[in-house]
Amino acid sequence: MSDAFRTLRMPMSREDARSLRAGDMVLLEGEIVITAGLPTIQRLVACAEEGRDPPIALAGGSLFHLGSYSQEMPAGGLEILYMNPTTSTRFNPLMPRLIRHFGLTAVGGKGGLDTACAAAMREVGCVYLSFLGGGAPLHSAAIRAVREVAYPDLVAHYRLVRLAVEGLGPVTVGIDAHGNSLFETLQAQARDRMEGILATLAASRQDAKGG
Amino acid sequence: MPITYQAVKSLSAQLYDWSLRAVPADTLDGLARALATETHDGARKVLQMMLGSARKAEAEQRYVCSDAGVPVYHVTIGTAARLEGDIKAAISDGFDELVATISPPLLKHVTNPLTNERGYKGRDMPLVTWDVAGGADWVEILCQPKALGSGRWAALETFSFPSLAEIEAYVMKVVMQAGSQHCPPVIIGVGIGGSFDVAARIASKATMRAIGTTNPEPVLAAMEERLLRAVNATGFGPMGTGGDTTALAVHVDYASGHGYTPVAVCFNCWINRRTRARLHADGSVERFE
Repeated sequence: MSDAFRTLRMPMSREDARSLRAGDMVLLEGEIVITAGLPTIQRLVACAEEGRDPPIALAGGSLFHLGSYSQEMPAGGLEILYMNPTTSTRFNPLMPRLIRHFGLTAVGGKGGLDTACAAAMREVGCVYLSFLGGGAPLHSAAIRAVREVAYPDLVAHYRLVRLAVEGLGPVTVGIDAHGNSLFETLQAQARDRMEGILATLAASRQDAKGG
Repeated sequence: MPITYQAVKSLSAQLYDWSLRAVPADTLDGLARALATETHDGARKVLQMMLGSARKAEAEQRYVCSDAGVPVYHVTIGTAARLEGDIKAAISDGFDELVATISPPLLKHVTNPLTNERGYKGRDMPLVTWDVAGGADWVEILCQPKALGSGRWAALETFSFPSLAEIEAYVMKVVMQAGSQHCPPVIIGVGIGGSFDVAARIASKATMRAIGTTNPEPVLAAMEERLLRAVNATGFGPMGTGGDTTALAVHVDYASGHGYTPVAVCFNCWINRRTRARLHADGSVERFE
């Protein structure tokens, strides 16, 4: 595999989102919005329900399940000390609403999202990007600037943060905008393989007994 | 000379700090071996990134993961060790001092399970298990911070007189439940027998054994080998996006029990945070991991 990855401008255009296929690996450059907090996602759903604008604009943008430590610098301005993905599946029940309401083009984190999310993503033209867990040194090095931090009443990793990044990734397209999900495919594949896997285990146990 | 409150406090804090900024050597070796055999292109790239992230963390003393987890310690006190001061308080105070001084600061992960409020302090935090070593004159402390990838997907079920086939099928069931979500390739610990709490503790301890070591009991060594092949045949792969490497190791241990047999399965995510050191009677500190 070549290490020359396609770089996508963020926020991702609908066209770019639709051009991706599950399994592609890409680099990100531009602006992203991140949070690792369930209360944050709940607040954003409340914005959608009540027709209010979220504190950081999300329409047609990206929202990644990345946690960060942000703080004010002594000389003014904001900095991020480190950043890393969190498990996306715990946001499963809330993400379809956000994806549809804000017309997101890219979501992501680690571990994937479920079928209902994938359906919403297909409808609006949105991809799920899988970030390296345990990748804080790499992800943090891609941060160029902190644009905005919202919900300062929440603990640092729950805050909604808008960042400028360059060379973030490569990230893997886990779910594409055409209904293909690596997570579902792999779960189905493992289920299909399980009968054979258990038979192999039985044969190995038999061999161990015989030996 | 006695093993003091101050020595235990300092070491508890240091072990946590060290665990955040490097991946253990046995785990790096395991990842490198996986990279040599992995056939899936995307998975090879993910494994390379893991090794790169680990190297960068160690070289630049950065956190490998932003989720420092919650502090979990396993303390073994030699029955011949002479102690001075409140060793129990020393571990808790060591963590408090670390939180106050560590750079960059830690995120707040200590969670009240009744309200989901998060901070640095909480009931029974740090989580400490205590053990004794007959005749030894040292105190050993192992630190294994726990977060979602290394804690969330653990499970336990109790069976009546299960066959090995049933036990192994249950391990695979828990592997399926975790699927892509626990930052694979993982280290899997399996605890069989004893009682509810003993099985869980055996499974947890099994994750602490170094990758690449062979179980001294042939029956368990064979079980570990076939379960590792079985887990990797699922195809979830590194970060759960496909590949041959879903686990770096499966470690199994057991205790005799009654015939109702709890089977506990737990995971440690690929960064496999774990540091361990011994405080000796002569005042020296021996670091293992």
